Amino acid sequence: MIDPELAAVFVGSSIRLAAPLLLAATGELVSERAGVLNMSVEGLMLAGAFAGATASWATGSPLLGLLCGVLCVLPIAWLQAFLSITLRANQIVTGIGINILVLGATTLGYRAIFGSRSRAEIPGLDKWAPPGLSEIPHLGEQVFRQAWLLYAAIVLIVLVGWVMRATALGLAIHAAGTSPQAASHSGLKVSRIRYGAVLFTGFMSALAGCFLSIGDIHTFTEGMTGGAGYLAIAAVIFGNWRLGRTVMACCLFGAATALQFQLPAMGIEVPSALLIALPYVLALLAVGGLVGRQVAPAALTKPLPAQG
Amino acid sequence: MSGPVLAWSRLRPTPALQVSAAAVLLAFGVGALLIAALGVPVGDAVAAFADGAWGSSYALAASINRALVLMLVGLGFILAERANLTNVGGEGQIAVGGITATALALWPPVAQLPWGLAFIVPMLGACAAGAFWGGIAGVLRVKMGTNEVIATLLLSFIAIWMVYGSVQSEHLLRRPMTSSATLPESLEIPVATQLPLLTGDAGTPLHVGLLIGVVLAVAVALLLNRTVTGLQLRATGLNPRAARRAGMPIDRLAIGALCAAGAFGGLAGAFMLQGEQYTLKAGFSSGYGFDGLVVGLLARGSATGVVAGSLLFGFLRSGGINLEMVAQVPTALVVVIQGLIIVTLAGAAIGIQRMEARRK
Repeated sequence: MIDPELAAVFVGSSIRLAAPLLLAATGELVSERAGVLNMSVEGLMLAGAFAGATASWATGSPLLGLLCGVLCVLPIAWLQAFLSITLRANQIVTGIGINILVLGATTLGYRAIFGSRSRAEIPGLDKWAPPGLSEIPHLGEQVFRQAWLLYAAIVLIVLVGWVMRATALGLAIHAAGTSPQAASHSGLKVSRIRYGAVLFTGFMSALAGCFLSIGDIHTFTEGMTGGAGYLAIAAVIFGNWRLGRTVMACCLFGAATALQFQLPAMGIEVPSALLIALPYVLALLAVGGLVGRQVAPAALTKPLPAQG
Repeated sequence: MSGPVLAWSRLRPTPALQVSAAAVLLAFGVGALLIAALGVPVGDAVAAFADGAWGSSYALAASINRALVLMLVGLGFILAERANLTNVGGEGQIAVGGITATALALWPPVAQLPWGLAFIVPMLGACAAGAFWGGIAGVLRVKMGTNEVIATLLLSFIAIWMVYGSVQSEHLLRRPMTSSATLPESLEIPVATQLPLLTGDAGTPLHVGLLIGVVLAVAVALLLNRTVTGLQLRATGLNPRAARRAGMPIDRLAIGALCAAGAFGGLAGAFMLQGEQYTLKAGFSSGYGFDGLVVGLLARGSATGVVAGSLLFGFLRSGGINLEMVAQVPTALVVVIQGLIIVTLAGAAIGIQRMEARRK
């Protein structure tokens, strides 16, 4: 029999581990649908985690930390947009370059600011549970009492789903990523749409990074994203560039990560490397066309023609 | 870029060279400012950096060994790039190369092989493993139309965790557990399977990889610029439909290009393991694949560019390590410099193309 308490801990930690992926992947989805494969999510998240933690520590207010996290990440996202859209640079190169730059800069900043007191207590976001749900025996506390940012994330994702599906803006984003020339001929400002989409990825990645540093564990460590940004990209691919499936992929990846902590606790020996690699294997099978048909946005990674 | 070039234009630095030099200088300038901002005398830091990069024969040899790894990944990259394929999987190809080299080197019969085969066989195995890993992306690309950027990236992450997994279990490559403190890493590979040192002196650990690397760099330059295969790769990359009409085996060329890129990555993994680290640990590839990718990108298709870029990044890495140990400047500073160089050059790429077009 499965212990209900253990099951609740598992579900709760799966959700906590999936949350930053959900935020980042939703942002990345919008950018990819607009035609920009934004590889800098990893760096954007790390910058958000660092700025959020530092500002929260300096001001004592996690809310100001969150705000600062977003404000610091937006210029970096703008740089990615400027390089890949205006200068028409290779999107992958600029993304990897920004990731390396942010990794170096945050590590340097962390040493400079926290160097002597590396175990500094950082105020984190409050936890919240929907009234009523937290009273459910066993489940309530473990599953529903989460940093409020998680609930905000759910609202944001629903909002993104509605915009992409039911509004003119959603249609315009889709057009910019599928047939930028036709979209441009019909009067859409494709480069402006792409700028907006990349900045939105920055916003969502900043929230994802803040969730890591001040929502989940209340500290910053060097390179703390540890590939979560790339995992978010894998989730978008595995989700076949659709929001519902991407959300499911994030939850699956979150559960796979939670399992590697959970299984040893239950006395089951499974090579943890297998579980960590599982999301990437699934994503590879998906892009390899072995799990259903994948349809990437037609103009993904393609810069606009000179006229734009 | 290539083709008949007038002699006088060779004397002037090309726009690409000018912009690259400017980007590197700019990045170093920002680095110096950061050092000053951290409150460390810039002179001390520069001295520590130079000492670590080329200050002693040991440092020089270590820098060159690092550069060799980056150069191999970079050469593989430009080979695939010629067919318009972007191989971002160097990190994973290094990882599978390292696993295979370790497994072969630790297999007792291999260490007994005569005539240097003891260290050659693991290297060849690593090449084969890397070629297989790159080939997966090639086959997916040709058969399924899968974007090779996404496939090679995902394959990299899988391979990185395969290294982690293979040193976690004694049934795989983990050294026998004698106590609970036994580290999750492989045994040290036998001396016969390690790359022989050119000087025969451990104080200058320059290994035979240098000779292999030089030969391969020349071979890639010749292949790309002087052979039919090089021309076919270019044709496949520029216009696959026309190339197919002209009777070129474009599918085989594409798969072959990614296999070759993978083989170079696998060999780089063998160099790291058999020439420097001798034991397989989780994370042993430590970003060399991504640095090598950047070297390849910045070389803009030229083997000479790869050699120059890999030396730059190799010396940067060595100097950066000493910077932290001696001058208390975090190695992360070097990472910032590297990031700045990449971002600046990526942004300038289109501009360089325009300048080059104007010169013609």
